[in-house]
Amino acid sequence: MDHAMRFAEPDSIEEVLSLLAADPEARCLAGGATLVAMMNAGLTAPSLLVSLRKLPGLASIDPQADGAVRVGAMARHATVAAHDGFAGAQAILAAAARRIGHPAIRTMGTIGGSISHADPSADYPTAITAADAVVEIAGPEGARAVPADEFFVDWLETALAPGEIVTGVVVPPDATDAAVHYEKFTRADGDFATVAAAACVALAEDGAVAALRVAAGGVAPTPIRRREAEAALIGRPLTEDGLAALGAALADLSDPIDDMRGSADYRRRLLPRIVGRAVRRAAAAFTARSGARSGTGPQAGGVA
Amino acid sequence: MTAELDEDALVPLRVTVNGRAQALACGGGETLLTLLRERLGLTGAKRGCNQGLCGACTVLLDGQPVRACLTVAATCADRRVETAEGLLRGARLSPVQQALVDGGAVQCGFCTPGMTMALTALLRAEPRPDAARVREALSGHLCRCTGYVKIVEAALAAAEAQAQKGADGAAAGDADARAEGAAP
Repeated sequence: MDHAMRFAEPDSIEEVLSLLAADPEARCLAGGATLVAMMNAGLTAPSLLVSLRKLPGLASIDPQADGAVRVGAMARHATVAAHDGFAGAQAILAAAARRIGHPAIRTMGTIGGSISHADPSADYPTAITAADAVVEIAGPEGARAVPADEFFVDWLETALAPGEIVTGVVVPPDATDAAVHYEKFTRADGDFATVAAAACVALAEDGAVAALRVAAGGVAPTPIRRREAEAALIGRPLTEDGLAALGAALADLSDPIDDMRGSADYRRRLLPRIVGRAVRRAAAAFTARSGARSGTGPQAGGVA
Repeated sequence: MTAELDEDALVPLRVTVNGRAQALACGGGETLLTLLRERLGLTGAKRGCNQGLCGACTVLLDGQPVRACLTVAATCADRRVETAEGLLRGARLSPVQQALVDGGAVQCGFCTPGMTMALTALLRAEPRPDAARVREALSGHLCRCTGYVKIVEAALAAAEAQAQKGADGAAAGDADARAEGAAP
C-alpha cells in the first residue's frame, strides 16, 4: 500500500460533503460490497474512506404523503427485498433486490452504492428505471433530484458531479396499481445479469394492457427503455406479436458487450425472450392478484 | 501476511468478538477479515477469493451473515462479531458444527467455517427450514470439493437435532412439573 488509507464516519451530511470536497481521492463507503472488492483487487486505493453508516435517515424506507416511497441510500438489499410498503409498480424494487447476489451480500449492499456504481448488469439500475424513480442527490451546491433515466449516463458513469452523493431514491406512486416481475438470466445463481428485464404491467377488465413499463439491463452501457414501444401495446390484449415488437425495439436500442457472461450477439438474441417472459409473468401476476381480490380465483385471459 | 496490516493510520475500534469486548486499533481500509485473522489470530474465517464471491470468510455481524473480506473493520465499532471459533462451548461443538462432522459434510474444510456461520444464522431465524431454504442460505458459499448434498443433509439434521432437543427439554420440563405437582 502506497499510503495509509484514512477512515472517517461522520454523523452529518454536511461533514461528509466537506470531507469529499477537501479531498478528491476520498470515496464514500456504503455497504462495501463493490468498493472493498475493488480495493482488495488493487483497482482503487482511496486516500480516505467516508463511511455513511452513521448518517441519520439514510437507512430507512419512508412512505411520502403523495404515495411515493423514499428508499434511503443506505437501505440494505435485504431490507428493500422484505419491505411490504411498496404499492403497484414500486414493488419492482423489492423484486429486483431479492435477486441481488447472495444472503450475505444482501445484508451488506445498499441501493445508493449499487446505483452510484452504475453497473448496467446490476439489478437496481434496471429496476429504478422501470419504476420511473427519482434519485436524490446532495452536494456542495445543494440538493437536487435526477430522474433515473438521466442518472445513468454511461458504463459505470452517473450524473453525479464530483463531491456529490446519492442520499435516496424516491419511487413515485403508481395510479395503475401494476403488478411487477423482475426476470434475470444468469448462468450461476447470484451473479450479475447476462440480461435482465423489469416489467410493470396493469390490465383492464377485458384483458387489454392498461399500463406497461419495461426496462432492460445488461444489454447496453445503461438500462434501456423504449417508451413509444411500450405505448404501442396499451389498449390491446397482450399478444406474442406485440411482445416481439417490444423486444425488437429494445434489441435495436441495445449495445451489448462480449464478456464472460455471454457474447454481445447472444445478449441481443436473449433480450426479447427475457423481456417477453418478464411482461408475461407480470401480467399473470396482475391477473392472479385481481382474481384473488375479487374472490373469483385466477381468471383466464391476460396473455393471448 | 502482515503486509496486509496498515499501521500508519490506525483507527481505534471497540468491538465485541465472540462475546468478548475488545479495544483494538485497525487500519483505515483494513477489512474485518484481516483484523480477525492477523490481529486477533482467529483463522476460522478464510481468505478465499477476497472478492465476496466464495463465502469462505462469512461471519456474523450483529447476528447477520456478512462477508468479512468486504467489511471495513472500522465500521464494526460497537457491534458484535461472531466467528466459527465463537460457536464452541468449551470443547463442545455447536449443533451445526456437530451435524457437519457427523454427516461427513467436511472434506478439505476450507469452506466449512463460512458455511457454518451461514447455517447458524439460518437456524436461529428459522429453526425448521426445508431443503430449499437451506440451499438458498448456502448460495454464495462455494465448496470446491463439491460436497453440497452432505452439507444440506447435515443442516437439516442439525435442525432436527435442535428440535428434538427442544422437545426433550419441554418433555423433561413437563415431567418436572408433573413430579412437582405430584409431590405432597
